[in-house]
Amino acid sequence: MSAAAPATDRLPAALPRGETIVEFRNVWKRYSGRDVLAGVNLQIRRGEVLCILGPSGTGKSVALRHINGLTHPDDGDVLVFGESVVGLSEEELSPVRRRVAMLFQGGALFDSMSVEENIAFPVREHTPKAEDEVAAIVAEKLTLVGLPGIQKKMPSELSGGMRKRVALARSIALEPEIILYDEPTTGLDPVSSEKIAQLIVDVNERLRTTSVVVTHDIVTARTVSDRVVFLHQGRFQFVGTFEEAARDGHPVLMDYFRAMGFPCGTGVFRAIPKGE
Amino acid sequence: MAGSEGVECAVPMAPPEPSATAIFYRNLAWLRFVDRFGRKGSHIVEYVGGLSQLVGQALAGCVSRPFYSSEVLHQMDELGVKSLSITGITAFVTGGVLALQTAYSLEAFGGKTFIGRIVSLSLVRELGPILTALMVAGRVGSGITAEIGSMTVTEQVDALRAMAISPVRRLVVPRLLAIVLMMPVLTAIADVLGILGGLGIAVLEIRMTFQDYFTSILQQLQISDICSGLSKTFFFGFEIAAIGCYNGLQVEGGATAVGRATTRTVVLASICILISDFLLTKLFLAI
Repeated sequence: MSAAAPATDRLPAALPRGETIVEFRNVWKRYSGRDVLAGVNLQIRRGEVLCILGPSGTGKSVALRHINGLTHPDDGDVLVFGESVVGLSEEELSPVRRRVAMLFQGGALFDSMSVEENIAFPVREHTPKAEDEVAAIVAEKLTLVGLPGIQKKMPSELSGGMRKRVALARSIALEPEIILYDEPTTGLDPVSSEKIAQLIVDVNERLRTTSVVVTHDIVTARTVSDRVVFLHQGRFQFVGTFEEAARDGHPVLMDYFRAMGFPCGTGVFRAIPKGE
Repeated sequence: MAGSEGVECAVPMAPPEPSATAIFYRNLAWLRFVDRFGRKGSHIVEYVGGLSQLVGQALAGCVSRPFYSSEVLHQMDELGVKSLSITGITAFVTGGVLALQTAYSLEAFGGKTFIGRIVSLSLVRELGPILTALMVAGRVGSGITAEIGSMTVTEQVDALRAMAISPVRRLVVPRLLAIVLMMPVLTAIADVLGILGGLGIAVLEIRMTFQDYFTSILQQLQISDICSGLSKTFFFGFEIAAIGCYNGLQVEGGATAVGRATTRTVVLASICILISDFLLTKLFLAI
């Protein structure tokens, strides 16, 4: 593992609005003798929707989990709200985690609780709100995700798409500043995927959050992203807008686009030295 | 001369020098053994270290906020009250069998009058706590590992962490407290049911009177016997909960891994209960 910064990280063509809210600084992570993250650098700006694209097993979710401290890097630093989250204990991470919500791949709803209890859970844990206020928050969030009136249902009674929307309602219950989406459309039919993708955009606009979406679904990335980054062989090989990626991305990314039926340019991938 | 020739012929031949390849493979087998032994040892050290860390965090969670008192009550019902049938039936039947075996063994010595003493003392000092603990380890320990293990593989434990809620405080502490508090209750009930089981056999099969049976018990049984039996159960409960929760939190993979962890919990908790029973019995007898 060398400490050299990756030469292929690429600066965005059009800088999105807002200050830097999350920053990866030369982050390394190794699993089973393989560098899943090999010195990645990335800046995520307040208010944007950033998609992390890449083939399965490349470490997209691992990168995402560094943001809320569920995973710690072997080397390098991760700054969230300007503070390093590396090496912090679970208790020290609490203030950051209250401002950063995460939507897990399978929803991760608590099986033993109803929809209402699931959504109310973080509110009851972290705020002194009265029960009628909590009930109002639950109803409001369920309406926001398009599922009003299902408070009493159990997670086992919900379809895959509904589970993810309820999980999203739970994620936004505390009105976080950053939402992390781990494969939000995986396992869903195209219609449900499109609904979830639209919901990500709506939530980001209405709640003025910053969203980081890990996906291998190009359609979702096109719908939601202000910028995409492409993770391959442990490095962010491309950072830019979706259109730039489709026009002049990394060869593997271009193959990816073609496999999904997206028209791609014939531009040759150019490794741009850091700082250019 | 013929004999000397025979002696010369009988001189054993020196064994052939092992080839370099044979030496290599022989050493390789040893190295593999040492490697496996070392790996096993490091796994055990790692396991004990992780378990100790979890126990430390759970103990700290027992004496600091936030408390999940309603969750503790819920777990006391789930893990304790719902275990009453299995622990009660086990103790009742064991009491009856003990009375039968005692009557059969001591009949020749006219020792039927000792049935009440032997049944009550065996149950209260030893069989009640140990059988209850083993039954709870089988039912509750495996259940805890399966539940928490499933939560781990479906990312529910990570979801708790992501919501800034400690899985140790939310999942481990309530279960630990519930089992530690319910084990003495379950054992006390098991003791009573075991004695009643013995009474049934004594009255119906051996034709003793109620009065003889209970007089025999009261002549022998001391408060210290009851205390030593019930005291052990706090430790047993602690071991079951700690091992069950730790194995659940350590699950990686899918349903197969949950199944393996569940089996490991029952085996390990049972072994720990038996070993700690021996040590605690030695300790209480020495006091």
